[in-house]
Amino acid sequence: MSMSLQLREETRTKAPIRVSSKWAAQALTFLMVFGPGLIVMEADNDAGAVSTYVQAGAQYGTRLLWLLLLLLPISYFVQEMVVRLGIATGQGHAAMIYRRFGKWWGRFSLADLLLVNFLTLVTEFAAIALALGRMGVDPMLGVPLAAVALIALVLTGSYRRWERIVIFLCLLDLLWFVIAFRVHPPAAGELLRRTLVPSMPPGGMTAGWLFLVIATVGTTIAPWQLFFQQSCVADKRLRFADLKWARLDTFVGAVFTILVAGCMMLAGNAALVRHFDFADPAKMAVQLGAVLGPFTKNAILLLMINAAVLGTTTISLASAWAYGEVQGWPSSLQKPVREAPAFYAMYGVCVMAAAGLVLIPRAPLQLIILSVQVLAGLMLPSAIIFLQLLLNDKEVLGDRFANRPWNNVVNWTIVVLLFVLSLLLAAQVAAPQWFPNT
Amino acid sequence: MNRTELNIAKRTEHTFFVVHPLDDERELKVDTEHIGRMRMTPTVRVCLYALRGYLLLMVGLLGFRVLQLAGAIHG
Repeated sequence: MSMSLQLREETRTKAPIRVSSKWAAQALTFLMVFGPGLIVMEADNDAGAVSTYVQAGAQYGTRLLWLLLLLLPISYFVQEMVVRLGIATGQGHAAMIYRRFGKWWGRFSLADLLLVNFLTLVTEFAAIALALGRMGVDPMLGVPLAAVALIALVLTGSYRRWERIVIFLCLLDLLWFVIAFRVHPPAAGELLRRTLVPSMPPGGMTAGWLFLVIATVGTTIAPWQLFFQQSCVADKRLRFADLKWARLDTFVGAVFTILVAGCMMLAGNAALVRHFDFADPAKMAVQLGAVLGPFTKNAILLLMINAAVLGTTTISLASAWAYGEVQGWPSSLQKPVREAPAFYAMYGVCVMAAAGLVLIPRAPLQLIILSVQVLAGLMLPSAIIFLQLLLNDKEVLGDRFANRPWNNVVNWTIVVLLFVLSLLLAAQVAAPQWFPNT
Repeated sequence: MNRTELNIAKRTEHTFFVVHPLDDERELKVDTEHIGRMRMTPTVRVCLYALRGYLLLMVGLLGFRVLQLAGAIHG
């Protein structure tokens, strides 16, 4: 690699773990590296994603399962690039854009990220309030409590503690498999066919169908994920030798997330076959609960809250890391609050402000949701373009970490696809009259 | 070579050592602080122009929608 190197300060070390076989050493190394990939992928199944996937199932049954299979390699390839960049540079994504593309693009990316992240956080807390309300808990009590718990989650001064708790929350989503089983999904052969063979709704392609396709893509690949995983990899200090395990972590996360998303569609499909009027996942939980019992209702409502909690901690961290990196602040979950006060303050402000906004009576939540869609449409293509250019930056990455030609073919295809879909989504939100629902 | 690699290299016949990344010695990474801005190759230039065009189009689209909602444009 043609690059200048810098020696970082020595940090504390613990005694290595001794094992007696190469297989055990590799398995243990994977478990130690495991985390950022699963978290970034599963946290993307946030409140908005639950709503989108369940709505897709409630409107089109299993006819969009094929799209999830298509999104599996796309989400893996995009996040794999971030892993390479993070391991090679030990820097976050925002810092890299700032340094390699200058202040204008750096500020644009950061401002857009912070704005869309904040608006997304508002939707996460709106989902928490909605689910709590359906469970009979006063949101005026539950939302502030959730916000305090989310802040406490990061204040331990230990990256590992935060990671273990969040991995546990990710694994709670295994409950979606139980729900998918309980709602009596279609036969395995039918599910396999719907997953492998793309199909259109009975009425053909409509604006509503196109909107859900685009929303599903936009939900599965979000701008904050790029910033989050690169900062997370840097904060965890993954080493060059960890790359293959970090890739496996990301792949496992992508597969798990897509399977969970499929289960959410099956839950939505259960509402469709029972001819329920779909309004939102919380109402659907109540409707399904009346037929299948209180377990199904409470499980879906709790999983909605879990999805929002996962989304909130990761998105707030993406913002805090990105802003801290650009400002040159100490920004690490490994640091106690007294050593990184601005980083933790940024996280806390994001969480508290979003929670506070949700509690304001008659807050314009619908406008906020629309703004998230439009701003995400603006943000995603630019973030992906910067990512693709950075991964071809041999001055920084050398031959070992830079994209190979086949990487570029795959990734430029993804870039063009996302550009077109983001443009369509934003156009549909901004000018709905251009997309008659016929 | 970091500590993991050293330890694996120095392993005895049936002993392997594994270190958590946070407990390992910090690796030498690329110095991105002093490397400066990216070279403006034709690919980079085309991408940034395309991005500017995309952003202008989106802002125009949003402006159109806002004016439409305000009643300044009909249709």
